Amino acid sequence: MRTFKTLTLVAIAILGFTSCSNDDDATPLLAVESEAVSNLHAPQTGGQGQPIGGEFTKFDFSTGTTTTSDTDWDIAFRGTTIIVNGGESQGTTDEPSRTGNAAAYIASNTFAGVTSVDENLFVQDSQSALAIPTGSDNGWYNYNSATFTITPLAGKILVFRTADNKYAKIEILSYYENAPATPDPFTDASRYFTFNYVYQPNDGVTTFE
Amino acid sequence: MRIKTNIKIIIISFILFYGNSLFSQEQKSTQKDSTKVEELEEVIISATRTKRQLSSLPLPAQLVSKKEINAVNSVRLSDILNEQTGLITVPDFGGGEGIQLQGLDSQYTLILIDGVPLVGRSAGTLDLSRISVGNIKQIEIIKGASSSLYGNEALGGVINIITESPKNGFKGDANYRGGSFGTHDISTNINYKKNKLGVNAFVNRFSSNGYDLVDTDVVNTVEPFSNHTLSSKLTYDFSENTKLLLSGRFYHQNQDNVASETITGESEINEWNTLLKLDHTFNKKWNSYLEFYATQYKAEEFLNDAIGDSFSQSDFDQRFIRPEFRTTYKLNSKNAFIGGIGLTHERLKRTDFFGTPEFNSPYIYAQYDGNITNKLNVILGARFDNHNEYQSQFSPKGAIRYKLNNKIALKTSVGYGFKTPDFRQLYFDFTNATVGYTVLGYNAVSTRIPQLDADGQLLSVEVPINEFNDGLKPERSIGYNFGIDLKPISNLKISLNLFRNDIENLIDTRVIARKTNGQNVFSYYNVNEVYTQGLEFNANYKLNENLTISGGYQLLYPKDKEAEQDFKNGQVFARITPSSPSFRLQKEDYFGLYNRSRHMANFKIFYTIPKWNLDTNLRTTYRSKYGLFDTNGNTYLDKYDDFVDGYTIWDFAVNKTIYKHYRLGFGIDNLFNFKDTQNISNIAGSIIYGTLNINF
Repeated sequence: MRTFKTLTLVAIAILGFTSCSNDDDATPLLAVESEAVSNLHAPQTGGQGQPIGGEFTKFDFSTGTTTTSDTDWDIAFRGTTIIVNGGESQGTTDEPSRTGNAAAYIASNTFAGVTSVDENLFVQDSQSALAIPTGSDNGWYNYNSATFTITPLAGKILVFRTADNKYAKIEILSYYENAPATPDPFTDASRYFTFNYVYQPNDGVTTFE
Repeated sequence: MRIKTNIKIIIISFILFYGNSLFSQEQKSTQKDSTKVEELEEVIISATRTKRQLSSLPLPAQLVSKKEINAVNSVRLSDILNEQTGLITVPDFGGGEGIQLQGLDSQYTLILIDGVPLVGRSAGTLDLSRISVGNIKQIEIIKGASSSLYGNEALGGVINIITESPKNGFKGDANYRGGSFGTHDISTNINYKKNKLGVNAFVNRFSSNGYDLVDTDVVNTVEPFSNHTLSSKLTYDFSENTKLLLSGRFYHQNQDNVASETITGESEINEWNTLLKLDHTFNKKWNSYLEFYATQYKAEEFLNDAIGDSFSQSDFDQRFIRPEFRTTYKLNSKNAFIGGIGLTHERLKRTDFFGTPEFNSPYIYAQYDGNITNKLNVILGARFDNHNEYQSQFSPKGAIRYKLNNKIALKTSVGYGFKTPDFRQLYFDFTNATVGYTVLGYNAVSTRIPQLDADGQLLSVEVPINEFNDGLKPERSIGYNFGIDLKPISNLKISLNLFRNDIENLIDTRVIARKTNGQNVFSYYNVNEVYTQGLEFNANYKLNENLTISGGYQLLYPKDKEAEQDFKNGQVFARITPSSPSFRLQKEDYFGLYNRSRHMANFKIFYTIPKWNLDTNLRTTYRSKYGLFDTNGNTYLDKYDDFVDGYTIWDFAVNKTIYKHYRLGFGIDNLFNFKDTQNISNIAGSIIYGTLNINF
């Protein structure tokens, strides 16, 4: 009896193992990655009436880090400008050429409320407009000309298709170093992005759950 | 005869230049208005452009008497208006203090002196601290759209400042008020009238060391300034029926202009107004007026750097001319008509302007005021304004008052109001030197955008230029007022007024092009629809001859219709702190327009002790919380934003008359030293003052 029991267990274990390896052929789903990024520095030169330049700070969702690769990046930051690795370059100084298929749109919702992507809404960067529009109240931020403060607009969730056709969503929380509760543009360093993101690493999956 | 005239001239010039005490022994027989006069019916001119009994008027109106101005020792118009129900002066970024009326901004209230408009709104605000109250007879406040009589700008209402006219005899006064912050106000009034000729003059000097609410910077909240007002009226009665008025006012102000420790300069304002009015009564029925009014407002300011080189210079020079002819016709004691025709000419020269624009606007208006029955009064009027820049405006108005009995009367009125886009909204051509954005007036767009494009400054044009072909439309409103006047007992007056103003084509700015420097080009466009609604309550209780208690309250809901819809549709989000996640807001979370309080109230006690020749008063005003900016990143004012706390200000004054012609006063404005250094720049803290008035 005891032996039989053991054998049965072994058999089940073997069965289980083999069935597992069968499943491997269909690739198991990778977990959705929910991460926070603090103080991503996005400097720029010029501005205030002068031509804008400076290298964009590129970000790669699959590694969750910044990168200097010319091709292996998804989105990039310079000052308040956000570009995607898809579409055409606008030809500004130091602007990288687009090599991937990235695209973006802005959803008006809470971060948790964006549960899936709508493939129809994606746009890529073009000569005339960026996928994430620039300017106060056009894209992701508001510039208060009385207090000189850049504040991320509430309820604007940036939804991305990555350079290699995966999906991600971002909620930008702050444009100032260490995300102070009440930023003072005269003392807090700007061009430091703090944001939450969710990355769906699985091919063809349009949900974030 | 000749000698006599010469003496007269000499006397008048003496009065004008040396003022007062010389004549203290003369003409003492003419007394100041006695208390009996005040018991007479109050008369208002602005509501119908004829002398009209206030108590039977079908429109919501308020009077502020000279008596009240004197009792509270007010010196500037902004002081006294702030104490009236539903009115508040709000500082703008240029430092001016404009009036908010029924929740509408200062640019929507027409300000008149003796029936003719003041100009000089550099950013839409007409600074009311510009106006001295030392020669004011009464202030008339008409609430609700009044373009049917007054045309442009009378969208929310009209404030008319009535100054003293020459009265029979010789008299004058000299006044001084000195108080905290090195504030001195010195003025004198001289009045002479005999037979056909009347003349009066008012001279005022007002100066202050200014004050500073924020110690950490070199800039003062209000820099030291001094200003002078000189105002004079000359009347000549050719006959009982033909009268001439010539009046002039001159205002000059100098103020330090400080931008930083090394960059300093000065700002200067020069303003003059002149009015010539001929009044002829043909017979009992017909009366005509011919008016010619001209005014100019010039503001210049400069900043120099440490070595004296020019850092910046800006000029504003507005000229306004208006001839008008009007006639009144009294059909009988119950029916009266008034009609007028005129032309407004305006011109503005300004730094950062696209040319020197000129406006011409002929207009015509008519109004009927009739007592259909003893109980029913009706006012019907309309005005047509033509304009060389905008579509013509037709502004009708109707008002009815029905007296139920001696204690209750109901009144209701509906009127149109409009405000044409100002010069700035059409001709501005301004590029911020440090940040690099550009603001273009609507009419400057079609020329300047191609130029900027040719210069390689534009990345993209967001709004096609052909959208600017139609012309910017005037802002328009319809104002509804419904009120009840109650007089339950003879010494108690209560009035209640419900109001709603619906405004369309409100002008706002938007991005029309993007620049290669990452900044935007802005221009103006008609977009918003806004309403303000609420109720106003006033009560006045005269306990006895010596004690009067009054109170007022305004409830206000000012909202942008589109914003309201966005909240309803769940399209608005907020964060608790700037770096916390967003959440969706509900419909009831929308607070309304910026810088408006839901509740405003005042309470006043005036007490006289005749045997001591003493009068005293205690006044308080309350303003509930309001928002100045969006602080949680959704561009709307919602209940999760940071608000400026509500506050109460107490004022106290006591005045004693001695030896009949002298009056000494003492008072404290803002008794408990309320200040909000972060948010409220026009409240300096407690002001302790003393006054001396001499009548002669």
